[in-house]
Parts: sequence; C-alpha cells; structure tokens
Amino acid sequence: MKQNVKLEVNGTAAEVAVEARETLLDVLREHLALTGVHAGCEQGACGACTVLLDGEPVRSCLVFAVQCEGERVATVESFGSPGALHPMMESFRRHHGLQCGFCTPAMVLTAIALVAEKPQLTEEDVRLALAGNLCRCTGYAGIVDAVLDVARSGE
Amino acid sequence: MIGARAARREDARLASGRGRYLADHDVAGLCHVAILRSTNAHARLLSIDTDAAVSLPGVVAVVTQADLDAHGARPMTHRLPLPGVQALEWDVLARDRVRFVGEPIAAVVATTRAIAEDALELIVVDDAPLPVVVDPFAALEPDAPLLYPEWGTNEFFRLTVLPPSLADAFAAAPRTRRFRYTNHRVAALPLEGHGAQAAFDPATATLQVLASNQQPHQLRTVIAETCGLSEGSVHVRAPDMGGGFGNKQHFTREECLVALLALTTERPVRWSQDRTEGLTASIHSREQVHDVTVGFDEMGKVVAYRVDVTANIGTPVLYFSGIGPALVTVGALEGAYDFGVVGFDLRCVATNTCPIGAYRGFGQPQAHFASERTLDAIATELGLDPLEVRRRNLLPDTPRPWITGGGARIDVGSLRPHLDELAREFGYDAWRARQEAARASGRLVGIGVSALVQGTAPTQYGVAGRFGSFESASVAVLPDGEVTVAVGSKSQGQGHETTLAQVAAAALGVGIERVTVTDGDTARLAYGMGSWGSRTAVMAGGAVLRAATNLRAKMDRIGSAMQHARGVPVSFDEIAEEAWWHVHRLPAGEDAGLQESVVYTPGNTIPVPDARGHMNFDETFAAHMTAVAVEVDDATGDVHVLDAVLVSDCGVVINPTVVEGQHQGGFAQGLGAVLLEEVRYDDGGQPLTATLVDYTIPEATDVARLRVVHRETPSSVAGGFRGVGEASIIATPAVIAGAVADALAPLGVEITSTRLHPRVLRSALRAAGHSPDVVAFAED
Amino acid sequence: MKPAPFEYVRPATVGEALGALTGDEGAKLIAGGQSLVPLMALRLARPTVLVDVKDLELDLVGTDAGQVRIGAATPHRRLEHDPVIAHAAPIVREAAGLIGYPAIRTRGTIGGSIAHADPVAELPALLVAAQGSVVARSTRGTREISACDLFAGFLETTLARDELIEEIRLPAAGARHGSSFCEWAPRAGDFAVVGVALLVERAADGPCERIGAAACGIGSVPLDCTEAVERARGENNPTGSLLRDVAARARALVTGDDDRAELLALLMARALSRSFARSDRPREAAA
Repeated sequence: MKQNVKLEVNGTAAEVAVEARETLLDVLREHLALTGVHAGCEQGACGACTVLLDGEPVRSCLVFAVQCEGERVATVESFGSPGALHPMMESFRRHHGLQCGFCTPAMVLTAIALVAEKPQLTEEDVRLALAGNLCRCTGYAGIVDAVLDVARSGE
Repeated sequence: MIGARAARREDARLASGRGRYLADHDVAGLCHVAILRSTNAHARLLSIDTDAAVSLPGVVAVVTQADLDAHGARPMTHRLPLPGVQALEWDVLARDRVRFVGEPIAAVVATTRAIAEDALELIVVDDAPLPVVVDPFAALEPDAPLLYPEWGTNEFFRLTVLPPSLADAFAAAPRTRRFRYTNHRVAALPLEGHGAQAAFDPATATLQVLASNQQPHQLRTVIAETCGLSEGSVHVRAPDMGGGFGNKQHFTREECLVALLALTTERPVRWSQDRTEGLTASIHSREQVHDVTVGFDEMGKVVAYRVDVTANIGTPVLYFSGIGPALVTVGALEGAYDFGVVGFDLRCVATNTCPIGAYRGFGQPQAHFASERTLDAIATELGLDPLEVRRRNLLPDTPRPWITGGGARIDVGSLRPHLDELAREFGYDAWRARQEAARASGRLVGIGVSALVQGTAPTQYGVAGRFGSFESASVAVLPDGEVTVAVGSKSQGQGHETTLAQVAAAALGVGIERVTVTDGDTARLAYGMGSWGSRTAVMAGGAVLRAATNLRAKMDRIGSAMQHARGVPVSFDEIAEEAWWHVHRLPAGEDAGLQESVVYTPGNTIPVPDARGHMNFDETFAAHMTAVAVEVDDATGDVHVLDAVLVSDCGVVINPTVVEGQHQGGFAQGLGAVLLEEVRYDDGGQPLTATLVDYTIPEATDVARLRVVHRETPSSVAGGFRGVGEASIIATPAVIAGAVADALAPLGVEITSTRLHPRVLRSALRAAGHSPDVVAFAED
Repeated sequence: MKPAPFEYVRPATVGEALGALTGDEGAKLIAGGQSLVPLMALRLARPTVLVDVKDLELDLVGTDAGQVRIGAATPHRRLEHDPVIAHAAPIVREAAGLIGYPAIRTRGTIGGSIAHADPVAELPALLVAAQGSVVARSTRGTREISACDLFAGFLETTLARDELIEEIRLPAAGARHGSSFCEWAPRAGDFAVVGVALLVERAADGPCERIGAAACGIGSVPLDCTEAVERARGENNPTGSLLRDVAARARALVTGDDDRAELLALLMARALSRSFARSDRPREAAA
C-alpha cells in the first residue's frame, strides 16, 4: 500500500508514492534518480548514505521516507557539479581526498556541515567528526587535509 | 607529465556525486534478485519448495539449480594446472549439499529487492545437517567431517618443495629455532559491495552485463562458458567501482547467476550484494598458520629456512581459486632476503566456512610477517639490532636480476642504501633514544622495521590455468587532435584515468587535458587482464606507452613530410586532421589514420616450470623499507602509532600523489588487519561478524599519517615502471607487529600472531603479570 | 537487507498514539529510529505498524522542583547543546556526546535509547546511576517508573508493550555537583565495551554527601555499582588509596570476565577522580 509523501529535495518540491518501508535512501536513489547518495551497508554503520535533512546530516538508510513529510533534503548534487565544484569538493580534489569516490559524497556533506557549525577546527576535531564516515581507500589523510584547508581559508 | 602531481581527472565527477556505480544504472523494467542462502554450515539438501514464493505478487521467477540445469547452465571449475589438486566442479546454486553458511541455494527475481526478500521467506528448504569443521587442523584429523567425501580428505592441495640440500643446511647451522605464526581471517571489504546487472539484447543477440569486477574480459569468458554462449555474444562492462582490493577479481557464482537469470526471465536483472552477504557469504582472506624452522649463525645470517604453511581455504568453490594467495606466499618467503636454502610444505585445507580468496597483497603479507618476525626473534636472541640483522640478510647488490632458488627474477636496485635511507628518514637512532627515555618512565614504546621486496605485475596463469601476462591498449588521435586511450585494466579508485593519461600525454607530447582514458569495457578491446597484483602501471602503462610512442613516431613522419611540402612547421592538430581526412597526401607507404593497438608482454614471467624447474611469477619487483614507532597503552591495550615512514621504490613514478595515496590507504588496511578486524566463526560454522558493528574497519580517528619518501630505481620493463599498490598493506602488519613486540618485550610478551586487537594485548599483559596503575589511569 | 512490510501512522496527540499502540499487537513506536531501523533492516524486528512520535511534542527540556525533565523525543544532539542540560545535568551532555556519530545524534532520542534498553548503551546506565525515572503513559493511565525498576533484561524493559515514555526525570545538579561518564570502546563512536556513569553531590564544605554509580556493558541490564563507591561518601579528596579501593570493589562486582572486570575497575576510578575534580568548588548558578 503506497502513501504520498511531499518533501523538498535540493530546493525543488517533490512528491513520491512510496511504501512505508522505503527508506529516504531508497526514495532518493530510485524515485528521484539522485544516485550520488550511496548504500554502503543499509544498517547505519558506514555513513555512505549521509544526506542533509533540514540542514543536519542524517543516515538516510535509517529514515523512512514517510517520516519526512514536509522536510527539506539536500543531497550532494545540490552542492556542485563536475563543471562547478563546491569549494569542499575542489579541496578534496586538491588534497587527493578521494580514490574510488564511493564514500565521498557523504564525506563532503558531513564536512560541509562540520565547517559551517564549527569554523575553528583542529585535526583531532575533524577526525572525530568524520569518524562515522568509513573510507576503505584513502587512509583519511587527504580527507583531513581537504577539510582543514577549507576551514582555515574561512570559505 | 611523468612524475607530475596531476590532479585527478575522475575527481570532478566522483566528488560531485556524478560517478555511476553498478547500482546507479536504472533501466526500464529492471528486476531485482535476492538470494536464499544456507543457514547451515554443512547439510544435505533434501528438497526446496518454491510454490508459495512464486505466487507472491511482484515475483517474476524463483529458481533453483534444477531450473538452471533446464536452461543449459554449465558447472564452474577451478582449472588449476597443478599436479595433485583435487578436481572440483560446482554449480551456480547449491545442488544437493551446502558447505558453508551463506552458500546460495535459490534465487528470487522480483520487481523490487524488498519483495524478493519477502519471497525468500516463503521458500521452504528441507535439509539434513551434517557435522561441521571450521578449523583447518581439525579438518586434517583422520575423523574430521569431509566436505567432499569422494576426496577421502579435506586437503584440497599439497605442495612440498624441500631442496635436497636443506637438511644439510640445517645440520650445519650453528643455531636452529622453531616458531609458529598465525595470520587470522579478515575481509577486504570494499565499501561498495559486489554487484551485477544483465539483460539480453535481442537486437544484437548479445548478453549485456554490467559487473563491479576488476577483470571484465575474463568475467566475460567465464559467463560465456557457464551460460553456454560464445564469448563474442557476451558484452561485459565494469562501471565506476567503489573499491575492489582483489575481493572483486574473482568470477563469482552470483555474477553467473545474474547472467543466467537475464537469459531465463528475458528481463533486465540486477543483484546488489548487501553488507551481510559481503561479510559472510562472499570472499574472506589471509587465514594461514606458518610453522617456521630457521637455521642461522652467530652473525644473525639465515642459512636455512623452512616454512610449513597450513592455509584454510574455506569451501573452495571459487574461480579462480582461493589457493592463489597460498601459492604466492610460498613463492615469496624470502622477499628482500637471501635465506640460503629455502623449502616449504604447503597444505591448503577445505573447511565449512566462506571461500577464501584474493585481498590486496595476495599471500605476500603472510610471507612477509613470517620473515620479519623471524629476523626480529633472531635479533633478540643474539642481542643484535633488528635493522642490522636485516642488513646482513638482504639480497646482495649483484647480480641483477637476482635469481632465487625457485626461479624468481628479482630486478630491484641496491637494498642496503635503501635501508640506510629509511634509517635516516625515520631518525632511527633518535627514536631508540626516545624509546629508552620512555621506558625509563614506564611507557611501552616500541619500534618496528620492515624490508620488503614485492613481486608486482604477476602472471595469473599458475593460479587460473589460463590468462597470460599481458595487457592491451588502444590509443587513437582523433581528427581534432583529441586523444582516446582504451585499456584492458580496470580502475577501482587508483586514478588510472589520470595516470595512464599522463603516460599517453607524455609520449605524444600533448597536454593531459586532451587525453581521455576509458577502461573496463570488453567491447573496446578484444581481451584485457584487469587490475590487481600491483600491475597497472607496469602492464597498462607499458601498453599505453608503446602504443602512444608508435603513434608519435608516425605523427613525426607525417608531420615531417607536411612541413617539407608546406615549408612551415605544422601543429599536432594539423597532423591529426591530415592523417584521417587527407589521406591521399600522406607519404608513400604510410597507412591512413592514427590508431595503434598494442598487446604488451614484458616477457619476464615463467608461469610453468621451465627446463631448470624454475618459475618466475612477476614481471618486475619493487622495494619498500618501512619503520614505525608505537606506544601501547598498558591499561586499554590500544596501540598508538607515533611515527610511520615508508621509503618507496616503485621505479619511475608516474604521479607521486597517487602513489602516496596508495601507500596511505594500504597502511590503513594493514592497521585494520592487525588492530581492529577479524572475521570470526563459532564452532558450528555460524558467522559472528555479520555487520559493520562487529567487523570494525579503521575510522578517521584510527589511522596515523604515513610519511612517504620516494626513491626511483627504474625497472627494466617499458617506462621503467614497477608496481606499487600492495606495498604498504604487505609491510604494515609485519612492521606493527614488530613494534608492538618491541614495546612489550620488557614485560616478556611475545608476538607471533596478527591478532593485536586491544583485548588481545590486554590479555597478554595480564598473562605476563602486568597490572596497569589505577591511579595513573584515573588521573589521566 | 530490506525491512518486512509495515504500516506507518503519525498521530497528532499522545492519546491517538496510545490508541494505535493498544489497537495492534505488533505496533511499535518510532522516534529517531537509530536503534530500531537497523533491526528492522535485518528483519530481526518486524513491527506491523510504526507509530511516529514526531508530532507529539515530547521534546521539551526544563527543570522543575529540583528535577530535570527531558521530553522522551529529545534528540541526543539537543542533549549535547542545551544550556539547561549543561547546567542541571552535565553528565547527560557528556554521555550524549559519546553516542555514535553526529548523524546518529541528530535523530536518536533519549526516550528511544532508554526504551530500547541495550545493555551497552550509555543513557540507561546513566539513569540508574542518577537514580532517575521515566514517566510512562498508556490507555490505562500514567505512572512513574524508577530507573532501578525499569530494565528487565537484554533489550527488555518493564514497560508494557503499549506504554509510551513521555519524559525522563533525574535530580538536578546541586551546588557542589560533579559527574563523569567514562567508557572504553575499540573505535570512536562504537558501542562501549564497558562504560561508567558516576555522580557526586558534595556538602558546601567539601565532603561527599551523595554518590551513585552504574555501568553499561556488564551483563544484560545496567549494573548498579553504588556499593563499590560507597567508601567515597564523606571523603573530600580522591586519594590514591581511595581510588585503588574503589577500583578493587568495582572489579569484584564482575565474575567470569576478567577483561571487563579490569576495565570496570579502571573506568570507575577515573570517573570518581573526575567527578571529584569537577566538584572542587561550588558551581555558578545557571544564567
């Protein structure tokens, strides 16, 4: 049995007909073709599904779409495109903060939210704030450098 | 361009979420596959009732092996060309017996994955449990339950190579010691799980397959064979991959299943591995026990070395087989050293656990762990510095290549100056002084070192029975001067779109922005060999270099003729246009166009024993020297890395930033493998680490920075390249274990296992009679 | 994995929510979902109806007659940043900051965590140590359940199936209050292997008047450890001898698991030391 859910996604009104058990992750990827958000575990343990819900990072695999009526969702696609990268994305590129890229959209969103909330950041702050976003490729050094660069340049 | 820290071409799309991974390819009418997997570790399958599942709305098909038989599916086999290996065939789905928890029994195709999983619950399986064995030593006992009763044993393969002079070498050795080293089971865990999507295209009568697989052409071969199709009628493309690490270089039952389901249902179908499947029913790695006997003299020089390897290979239903890493282990025992006379006895044992297979390092980590622990033990016994003991055992500087007893042809540079550079860069003496001061104040600080010679760009022939050591590249300059490069390798994040573009750009003399590299598509090249085994820079780099160099030479010839005719210099773009569009003006004997296809073989590997009985697995070798300093928290058992330096010689470096990223990433995986990760089973074969809450990989707070220093000794193969991707994952477990052992030595704790988790170290400290200072901990 | 099918309702009042819970044997409340949804994804939990608490306004935070009152649907992120909590229940702020990761804390709630009753979770142990309580409501009425009567077993409370936690209560910090939540986990954000919640109230002139301690990660419910720290009552100073004594008593509370016993001992001593340090002088009044 499907329910209609109205939400705002990347600044645009969206209406989807969903089963209650469809997560926000499922709906973004399959109903709205926003495949920048990734399924790494669907158990809330890896962070690859992170999106911003009403401005705050959430694990979209642990939220059912039906819970999001009237809420604002922002995915990585709204923060930049290949021809116009967000400064955080550009910083990841500059500092070799990605290899396979699977964790990267979530990492970038978490980092953007972090810098917005707490502009003065130490390396320890960054590592702790990103601890819930698993990366298997980079060993994190480039990611940390990228985030610190953005924080220090006050962008 | 070679040697430039070029920013990565792939980053613009990956960092903005525009990468397209396997599950991002939506097509009209796509159906989803869920797999019914065994919940018993060992059982006879008596019946499978799918009637209720088939009737569930939204279900398109429910299949068992009987259904796949009816559609002409062929069995899979390991094809190992090794004398004495057990013959083995297996089907895509279990037929009448299951041998590990998670083994696929049936598959549901439905309009959504959720409905498919609902249907799984309606399938009724009647099975008769059998006794279970998970430990390889228990599996070798005379009364052990047999996975394949027709074998009469659980020993899948045994290889014993004991040179006649080995016994004498031990007899003549002033000292002989025995050690047992344990390498525990881990999982490679790429963040994107496995997946495959297939559809039959009636217009072209081809099976179109998308697969998150490191070796697309070989997957095409295996799918074609399993489905009874010609290779030309199967098209495989591997899209953006969210990691691979070897875990995605096998040819799995699930990939063949998806192909068969596309053919039988006549619908496009996708299977996406979920995390529990990935952790329990996919591919595990590393589990080996080494019984080492070492003979050495008073100077610490090893004169005789024997390693008996007991490798748990799980249920060996894996093509290509999971014994590959074990074979590499016994071929890499000496690594950077000359150990005099070397022998081994390898037993590969089947157990009721998930198949064991490839993971970055592929058997070299275990060999390296044994050599480094052994040299450290020798240093301790003789009261010598561990760095000095290594110096005394390193391969001599000449001759090159250094031919080992088994026939490996090692072509690295001089190792002593390399080790000296490590000591300088790490500040070895200063660290020893710091350690002494720390010990005086009761802190457990330790230093570990590792000297590694790594085989790179290996041949797969010995572990697969086919697939030669080559790579394909096709380079073209289009009429507008843009350059296209198609390669048979397959990036899983290593930056090949950039590094191979650098190679082509350098050879052609153009800017990198004019070069586009594509990979992973069987439609573009007749055959390729994928990316694994630290091979891409050597093999694809060499192929691209050859092709681009040939093209440049042709362009020079054409350009020279044009200049002669016009009297003015001509540009790259003008030559390109001339070659394609004004062919009547080309010099006599010059073919039209600018397109060069190369299948490149360096020619150094000897995949089967030659007349002298020699085999050489690797096209070239690389050398890496690593040192770390750690502190062990005596209350919590946490290991903190205080400093880590790797002096890396991977020949001519295409992109230093990419190389450093590979080392840092491998370092993280190596840390995880010893400090955080373990795949565990209970005695009944039930997996105990089925989620990422139980199987814990390093987070950003767990990984120190590895400082990389570059050294370049060009190889003898094209470009002077050497492989590099696996270096730090091979070195790190050994060097961390050495540092922890050094830190705990004053307490009498010995380290002979890769298990260095905090709980293990706490237990070791307690067993050694050590109690942490409650007040110091409380007031910290 | 994907969850089994269910219906979703979002009542506007607590009464409606209770009606939905009572009306269906398989109905379950959902707040943040950070504990429940992973279980549903693995099909280990299969509610037939999810009753969302979002619109029930169960997220008010305040103090009242010496008690801190926290709405059950207050997310952990709020517990980390709310000034009332920071002043009147600083251990709640400290413990909340240890829960998982920022994205988890955005959604997860104090009521959800307590109702879920995972023995390795921080907040249930904290509530026992603080001698707090929950106010629970059903169609049959409202009752207050003390923390010591709330946790019954692994993932099990004494709440009725159709009972809803409205608020959590604990004593507001006094003039010379000190507290500490200490835990050890393999990685940042992991569930604790062992965690300790400890609170002290000291007399104006220094000696410890009241003390409470509890641990998570030992057994299937929070472990009340007050007997291990009793000796600190009347003390003005966490001497080495006191710390070692408390550690030894804590160690003795655990049998059959030397590793957890040792961790409990160390963490208890640390929590005691920090609680004393944090109550070294009288606190400033709230702004």
